[in-house]
Amino acid sequence: MDDARCKRIFAALSEYLDGDLRAKSCQELERHLAGCRPCLAYLDTLKTTIEACRSYRVPKAPKSSVRVRHALREAIRRA
Amino acid sequence: MNTQVQQALEILKTGEPQAVEQAIESLQSAVYAFGMKVCGHPEDAEDTAQETLLRLARSLKDFPNARALSVWLYRVAKSQCLMSRRKSKFAPAELMSLEELMPERLGTDPAVLKSWAITPEEVVLHRESRARLEQAVLALPKQYRLVLILRDMEQLSTKEVAEVMEISEDTVKMRLHRARVFVRNELEKYFRGRKRLTL
Repeated sequence: MDDARCKRIFAALSEYLDGDLRAKSCQELERHLAGCRPCLAYLDTLKTTIEACRSYRVPKAPKSSVRVRHALREAIRRA
Repeated sequence: MNTQVQQALEILKTGEPQAVEQAIESLQSAVYAFGMKVCGHPEDAEDTAQETLLRLARSLKDFPNARALSVWLYRVAKSQCLMSRRKSKFAPAELMSLEELMPERLGTDPAVLKSWAITPEEVVLHRESRARLEQAVLALPKQYRLVLILRDMEQLSTKEVAEVMEISEDTVKMRLHRARVFVRNELEKYFRGRKRLTL
């Protein structure tokens, strides 16, 4: 395992997953991943974490208060 | 921008009477959910939703479009959450170094890799792993927590998160990566040594 390169790759994993990495850096990262199982495994588990965050839903919210509904209806009427 | 919030705000701006009630409930639900993710307490989330929507009522006419209003709404909700009465029980450090977050070994251990044999949907459906995810997010220092929630949970773009947080896009990316790595490492601590989760 090339530690210095792994550290550089590690710092760029989120940008890579978000599609924000420049083409040249992207190619370098993909070349490294093809030969480095630990980095590839880390990338996969980071991706699972991000997708879990995207799937996360908060249980149903209580209904809005009468005061809130009244205030918003009034605001729409005045707008 | 979060489509639920954007659509509800568009309806409020146009004022279609039949759709307004549903739009109000949709916004209540979205702001409450955001408050729960940031504060972790139902009472704080309810206070956040109420105060944010009351401020929205006072400012509705001041914004030209739903997008500008969405950014403003998230800013207000964020401030309300940070002022919440019940502080997080975690007392995290304010800065996270990437060096410290990088594991000594990046997952060469087969047992560690096997522990991750789980889909993202299973993480959020299983009670314990879902609770661990919530705890990990709440354990993040607030500036990292807000960026991760806005970008990955509310699904705002990097540019929109930068606008809500009033920071540069580069700072959003830096904080986001550290927050994701922290949560990923916390989940691994939980998964390690466990058998495959059953739903």
